[in-house]
Amino acid sequence: MPGNIRSVSFAWMVLVYLLFCSRRASVGAAPICANAQAGCHVLSLANLFDRVIQHSARTHSISNDLHSEFEQYFLPSKNHIGRVSRNCHTSSILTPNGKDNAQRMAREELTEVILKLLVAWRDPLWHFHQNMAHHHDFNNFSSNKALEMSDMVHELRKGVEKVAEKMQVLGIISNTVSSLASPEASLPSDSAEWRLMKDYNLLSCFRRDSNKVQNYLKILKCRIVPEHGC
Amino acid sequence: MMRKVILLLLLLCFTAHTRGKLHSPPAKPGLTSCRSPEKETFTCWWKPGSDGGLPTTHALYYRKESSETVYECPDYHTAGENSCFFNKNDTSIWVNYNITVVATNALGRAFSDPVEIDVVYIVKPNPPEKVTVTVMEDKGWPFLRVSWEPPHKADTRSGWITLIYELRVKLEEEIDWEMHLAGQQKMFNIFSLRSGGKYLVEVRCKPDHGFWSEWSSTSYIKVPDYFHREKSTWILITVFSTFTFLILMWLLHMNRHNLKHCILPPVPGPKIKGFDKQLLKNGKSNQIFSALVVPDFPPATSSNYEDFQVEYLEVYVRREQELVLEESKDLHNSCLKSESSTSDCDSGRGSCDSHTLLMAKCREAKEGERQTDRECSPMRTEAQRRLKDWEEEALNYAHAGIVSLEMSSGRVKTWPSVFSPLPRYSSSPLDQQSSLQMAKQLSLSTSSYLTQPGHSTKEALGQSYWDLCLSSKQPHLLNPPTPVCRELQAHSDVNISSIGHKRAPAGPRSPALHTTEYVEVQRVDNKDTLLLQPVVQGCGRMGGCFQMPHGEVYSKVKGVDSDNVLLLQREGMGEDRCPCVEQETNEVTGSCHKSCTVSTTQKPSGCIYTAVPVRDEMATMANGYVDTATMCTLHTC
Repeated sequence: MPGNIRSVSFAWMVLVYLLFCSRRASVGAAPICANAQAGCHVLSLANLFDRVIQHSARTHSISNDLHSEFEQYFLPSKNHIGRVSRNCHTSSILTPNGKDNAQRMAREELTEVILKLLVAWRDPLWHFHQNMAHHHDFNNFSSNKALEMSDMVHELRKGVEKVAEKMQVLGIISNTVSSLASPEASLPSDSAEWRLMKDYNLLSCFRRDSNKVQNYLKILKCRIVPEHGC
Repeated sequence: MMRKVILLLLLLCFTAHTRGKLHSPPAKPGLTSCRSPEKETFTCWWKPGSDGGLPTTHALYYRKESSETVYECPDYHTAGENSCFFNKNDTSIWVNYNITVVATNALGRAFSDPVEIDVVYIVKPNPPEKVTVTVMEDKGWPFLRVSWEPPHKADTRSGWITLIYELRVKLEEEIDWEMHLAGQQKMFNIFSLRSGGKYLVEVRCKPDHGFWSEWSSTSYIKVPDYFHREKSTWILITVFSTFTFLILMWLLHMNRHNLKHCILPPVPGPKIKGFDKQLLKNGKSNQIFSALVVPDFPPATSSNYEDFQVEYLEVYVRREQELVLEESKDLHNSCLKSESSTSDCDSGRGSCDSHTLLMAKCREAKEGERQTDRECSPMRTEAQRRLKDWEEEALNYAHAGIVSLEMSSGRVKTWPSVFSPLPRYSSSPLDQQSSLQMAKQLSLSTSSYLTQPGHSTKEALGQSYWDLCLSSKQPHLLNPPTPVCRELQAHSDVNISSIGHKRAPAGPRSPALHTTEYVEVQRVDNKDTLLLQPVVQGCGRMGGCFQMPHGEVYSKVKGVDSDNVLLLQREGMGEDRCPCVEQETNEVTGSCHKSCTVSTTQKPSGCIYTAVPVRDEMATMANGYVDTATMCTLHTC
């Protein structure tokens, strides 16, 4: 009997040890290669930019689909175009409205604008998705798209933050980018506005803003790393 | 009254005349489209309505989003007639423009429907520029390399606008284009070209979200010939297939005998002794049957007639309820051939099936084969069987000299006669045969009753019946289409090996299937003709029928005395027959007769059947049967 207990306990201890080791290994297997440590695969800035730009393109595409779907099923008459007031809650963010303006803008500013936009859209999109889930007018496909959109904006923001980080590390931009602060703090006055927006309005505004983000990122990329695809 | 009408007419004409000249405010114009080539400037076009007869001016007013300031179009001329061009300073991206066109003339103005646009979504770039196509080679196979540049106005270098490209290719003589999406690259390779073909290439582009540009100007390129590459492959294939074909032919040639046997198996030839195949192949029907007759068979000169006395009786039944007895296979063949329904069952048979064989040899075999072949030989076997029985019983009967002679040999044979369709055949052998062979001309045919199972019971009685089919020597009596072989029924006693009844072929044979027809010997005339009277059952066509006394159906020939007189003996058979006798030469009045004459061949010694006072005896011996064998033995020809 004592022999059995000993063997069982020994096996148990081995199991526990293995478990802990694997956990540690998994944790250790994903180091944040922020500082180009040895043994960590470093992505180039161009690569990062490409990924981020692809992400933003996908976001814009989804928002475009949702918008046209909304337009087709819920607002059949064409007269709405004139009547809908485009009061996007992000209109307070100053964004360049032309190529020259965008090119004249500093990289840091541009990066900041991008981040501001992305931050500003996180909550509205989340609530939009919630509304869609509860409204049974929308089919599941649209609801999934809304959720995906919301997630993608979140991911895009993280990606742009990483890019900014990288650029800062590389010395391309200065460290004045302060987007890592609390998102709500930057737009305190807008917190209530988006709640007033109707769904169609929200979609129109977001469609435009996602296009802006994509375009700004492209401009940044072709300005900073122009080797590929510019 | 007339005045008023005239005034009215004038008024109408006046109003009609001035209608065309009436001025009115202009009709509503409409904005047709707004386009931006590079996302930095844009142009709007409108279509004016009717001007109402007065000079009309158009003006375009726009309002930017979230601003109430109305601006007018800055440039009406750069883009042409009825257009408004917005330059860079006036263009804002990601801003909604509310544009209206107003038509004004002296009498009023008209507003078009407002149109809201965002410049980002109305981009239609210019076509790509500097499209170059060159032919390049990859391991001997040519391909086209197409390269181009984006339109110079679109700023792709700064990333402001991103274009994707598409090109299309076709041969000069084709109608349909081949489309290729090139993505963002500015170069594309086209493979799988036709040698010597002339190709047309065009390219166009599109921003991420916008409209396709127009196709660029066509580029022409001619692919050089690379025919020799394809040709060598075909030459190789041709040579290889030729070799394979030759080898196959050679193999077939080597094995042609085997193939021949396989595909075309040899036809078995006729297994008939003395049969002339060549004549059969070449000749007509007359010649065929003459060919079947072997001239020196049966040997007539040196043989003893007694040997040719009724040696054996071969009876076989045909399908059509006729039994043909033949003495030889020649006759058998001819007989069979005359009957279309019968088939040549003799080929491939064993020796037992041959007609020339003695029955005694094959009797045992026949017993076993009784049931096997019903087509040709069932009746034959049965007859043979019966003959066997007869022979057995014949021994019990003592007939002076007659039976013993025939029975001693243990064979019974009736000489068959030639069938009616063969008159020629009938004549020739008759000349050569002895009087005994007159019986040859009696062909026995069994009626269908032989096939009936009940027949066996009759056999048990020691008697069997078979129909004799006799053919007359007189050709005119023969009817080729219908066999002269009338159904004659011969009742044979045991000691009588064969009985022949003659019946003149007076009419078509009545197909009494299950009935047997009996013939009684009427008389023998001076020409050695045995006149038989068939006793026909159910003589509908005939005249009066006289009912035979019941039970007295058959009479048997008791013998022939020295005067060649047939002695017939009445014998009761228990058959219920209504004999109807018909006679050709009507010496019997008031009765219908049928007589079948059989002519015998004239023999030197002649088998003379003297005219027996048959008449009288016939009266008593209706349905009597004549033992031809007996008669034949008498003449000792």
